[in-house]
Amino acid sequence: MNELHFKQLDEKLFHEKMNNGLEVYILPKKGFSKTFVTFTTKYGAIDSTFVPPGESEEVTVPDGIAHFLEHKMFEKKDGDVFQTFSGFGASSNAFTSFTRTAYLFSATDHLYENTETLLNFVQEPYFTQATVEKEKGIIGQEITMYDDQPDWRLYFGTIENLYKDHPVKIDIAGTIESIDEITAEHLYTCYETFYHPSNMLLFVVGAVNPDEMMTYIRENQNKKEFAEPQPIKRSFPHEPIEVAIKENKLYMDVQKPKVYVGLKAKETSLQGETMMKQEMAIQLALELIFGRSSDFYVEAYEQGWIDESYAFDFTLEKGFGFAIIGSDTSKPKELIEGVKKELKKVEEKWPFGQVDLDRVRKKKIGYFLRALNSVEFIANQFTRYTFNEMNLFDAVPVLEQMTVADLQQAFTSIQGEEQQTVFSVLPKKDQEIS
Amino acid sequence: MFQSIKLQQGIHLHIRPTDQFKTVNFAFKFKQALTNRSASERSVLANVLLHSNELYPSNPAFRSHLDELYGTIMYLDSSKKGSDHYITLLAESVNDHYLSTDGVLDQVLNLLQTVLFQPNFEQGKFKESIVKREKDSVTQRIESLYDDKTRYAQHRLIELMRPNHPASIGVNGTISDVSAITKESLFEAYDKMLKEDDLNIYVVGDVDVKEMTSKIKQAFPFISRDIKQKVPHQNIQHPTVEENYVNEFQDMKQGKLHIGYETPVTFSHPDFPKMQIANGIFGGYPHAKLFLNVREKESMAYYVSSSFSSAYGLVFVLAGIDASKQEKAVRLIDEQLDLMKKGEISQNEIDQTVAMLKNQIKEALDSARGQIEIFDQYKDLDEKFSVENLVRNWSSITKDDIQDMARSINKQIVYLLSGKEEQ
Repeated sequence: MNELHFKQLDEKLFHEKMNNGLEVYILPKKGFSKTFVTFTTKYGAIDSTFVPPGESEEVTVPDGIAHFLEHKMFEKKDGDVFQTFSGFGASSNAFTSFTRTAYLFSATDHLYENTETLLNFVQEPYFTQATVEKEKGIIGQEITMYDDQPDWRLYFGTIENLYKDHPVKIDIAGTIESIDEITAEHLYTCYETFYHPSNMLLFVVGAVNPDEMMTYIRENQNKKEFAEPQPIKRSFPHEPIEVAIKENKLYMDVQKPKVYVGLKAKETSLQGETMMKQEMAIQLALELIFGRSSDFYVEAYEQGWIDESYAFDFTLEKGFGFAIIGSDTSKPKELIEGVKKELKKVEEKWPFGQVDLDRVRKKKIGYFLRALNSVEFIANQFTRYTFNEMNLFDAVPVLEQMTVADLQQAFTSIQGEEQQTVFSVLPKKDQEIS
Repeated sequence: MFQSIKLQQGIHLHIRPTDQFKTVNFAFKFKQALTNRSASERSVLANVLLHSNELYPSNPAFRSHLDELYGTIMYLDSSKKGSDHYITLLAESVNDHYLSTDGVLDQVLNLLQTVLFQPNFEQGKFKESIVKREKDSVTQRIESLYDDKTRYAQHRLIELMRPNHPASIGVNGTISDVSAITKESLFEAYDKMLKEDDLNIYVVGDVDVKEMTSKIKQAFPFISRDIKQKVPHQNIQHPTVEENYVNEFQDMKQGKLHIGYETPVTFSHPDFPKMQIANGIFGGYPHAKLFLNVREKESMAYYVSSSFSSAYGLVFVLAGIDASKQEKAVRLIDEQLDLMKKGEISQNEIDQTVAMLKNQIKEALDSARGQIEIFDQYKDLDEKFSVENLVRNWSSITKDDIQDMARSINKQIVYLLSGKEEQ
C-alpha cells in the first residue's frame, strides 16, 4: 500500500493496485461519521462504438445503453440491491455521465457489509430479457421527465448544436426509441467490455481505517476470477473544429426565454498535468471575463440581460470540450450580442494582468479547500481526474504556478467565431404570436 | 454539540468548536412571523443587503473583496419553517490555518458587521435604483416557479389544500406584494429585523469559544427584544378542501401526480418519531412500499415517493407518470397506504427504516450547515438533543404504532398536472 501525504492540505491518501488491475484509493477524514464509497468504471454515454473482448469487429450499440446498464445492475435474481443497502442503513445510488458510470453508497455504520454489497453487485451481472423489458417503462418515464425540464433541454440543445458527429451530442439516457432496441445480450456485451477491474476505480473516503479496509478489499477481490485484462478499443468519429449548427431554438411552456452561448474547444487531446493546467486556465479566464466581478456582469445585470439563473461553465474531457454562458432572460438578443462582443474584445486585446489573476486564483483556491469538506466532491472529482491521468490534490500547486500568459494561451482554444453557437428555449406563447 | 450563550434577551449565540472542517461557518438566523407581505419584503431586503454596502458601494467591488478573502462565501437566504419566516446571513471562509496569510477570519467578521449595520444608504434610505433592480430579481424568482413543473405542481397542491395559510405562502411572497415595496417600507422592514427579530447566531469551526464570543459581542451590539413565547409549529385552523380531484394542464409530456394527505401529527407532537417511520415505510426510501410496488413491480414511474411535512401535519406523495394511467397509479398508491392501515408492516421494513433515518441524521451532521440546521430545529423542542435519544425513540416503535400512524393519514386531494392533449 502506498501512502501520499499532502502536507499543506493536511490529508493522507492511500493507494494500491489490486492483482486484477483494480485501482483502490482510501482517504480517511478525521471527525467524520460517514463513509462514502464510489465504484466507477471508465465507461459512459459516449462509448457506443467499440470492439468487444475476444472479437475483431467493431460494434455500435443503441443510444442510452450505458445508463440502461447502470439501472439494470441493481436488480438481481433474488431481488433489488437497494434492499440490501437499506438493511444496513446505507443510501445507495448510481449515475452515468458522458465518460463514467459510478455506483456508490454512503453509510455511518456496517462499513464492510456495505462495501461487500457494492463490490459484489457491480461484479455480478444478472440480466434477463424480461427484466430488461420491464425497465423500459421506468427509463421511459425518466426520459419523459427530462423532456419537460427546460434547463436540461437548453443544455443538451447547446451540445447538439456544437457537435456534428461525436456521440457527446446524444442524450445520456437515449430516446424512447433507442432504448426499445436494447436486449439482455447487448448489456452483457457492454458489461464484459467495460466492467473489467482494470478499467475501474474504487474510492473510499470518510470514517475509515485504511489498513483494515485495504485488507478487506484485497481479500474480496482475490476470491473472484476475472479474464486477463485487455486494452479496450473504443472508436470515435472525426469531429471538425467548427460547430454543427450556428443557432437553434425550441419552444416550450416556459415564462421567460432561456439562452446559452456555447463555445467548442479546439484542444481536446491533452491528459495529465497539461490537461489540468488547460482546464483551470480556461476556467480562470472565464471567471475574469464573465464572473461576478467582471465588467460584463455589471453591464448585463444593470441592463437586465440576466437574472439569478446566470451561469457559465467549462467542461473538458478527452475528445470533447465546451464552455457555456447563459441565463433566463427577457432580453435574449441583447444577452447574446453582449456575450459575443465581450469575447471579441478579449480576442482583440487581452485586458487582464497579474492583479486580476491573483484575485481569481485566490477565489479558486478557497473554492477547492471548501470542497475538501465534502466527501462526495472528493470521491467524484478524484475519480474523474485519475481517469484523465491527473491528481486532484495537485490542483493547488497547479493553480499557484499559473501565469497570465497561460490563461491567454489556453483561452485561444475556445476563441474562434466558427466555434460559437447559440441555443434558446423560448415561451410557446411567443411562437403563437409570431 | 453547541455551546449556547445568551447575549441579550432574544439573542443567542451557539458555538461548536471542531477541527472536522477546513472552513469556519457563520449563520445569523433572523426569525419573524410569516405573511405574504413579510416574505416579500424580507426577500427583497436580503437581496439589497447582499448587493452592496457602505464600504463596497458597488456589487463588483463587494464581490472582488470576497474573492480576495479566498473566495469567502457570503449570502443572505430567505426561508420558512412552520409559521415563521427566516432571513439567514451565511458566511463560510477558509480557516487561516490552511492559508499562507493570517487575519482572513477577522476580515470576514468585519464584513458581516458591515453587511448588517452599514448598508449602501443614500440620505439614510436604501438607493432607489438598487431597490428597483432587486424587486425585479425577486419577481423573476417567483415567476420561475412556473418553469419547474414538479415544484409548480407541488405549490398548486398546497395552495388548493391550505389556501391563506403559512403552508401555501411562498418563501419570496407574491408578485403584487413585491411590487408594492418602496425604499421607505424596505427601511422599516430592515429596522424591524435588526431590533425585533428573534436572532440566533451560529459559529462552527476550529475556533476558541471564549475569543469568538468576545469578538461577536463586540462586533454585533444588538439590543435586547421581547420574544413572545409560543408553542413551536402550532397548527393553524384551515378551511376544508372543496374538491378532491383537480386536473390542470400545461404543454408538457409527463403527468405530475401529487397527492395531499393530512395528519394531526406535527413536529412538536409526541408521535412525531412514529410518523417519521410510517412515512419511511410508505414512500420515503428505495425499500418503501411505493418504490417497490409502483416503480419496480409495475414500472409505472421513474420517481414515486412520499414526504412528511412535519411543520404543517401534511403528507405528500409525488410521482411522474404517464397521465393516461392516472387512475391506476392512484389506485396502486391507495393500496399501499391501505396495506399499512391494515397492519401489513414487516419487522424488516421497520428495521430498514430506522437504519436509514439514523444514517441520514448522522450524515447530515457531517456538514457544518447540517449541524446548524438540525440543532436550530430541535433546540426549542429538546434541550438535550442528541442522535442517541432520537435513535432510542425510533427503536422502540412497533408495528401497532405505525398502523396507528397510517390510520391517522387522511387523503384530501389528488392533483395532476399534465399535457394539454389529454384535455
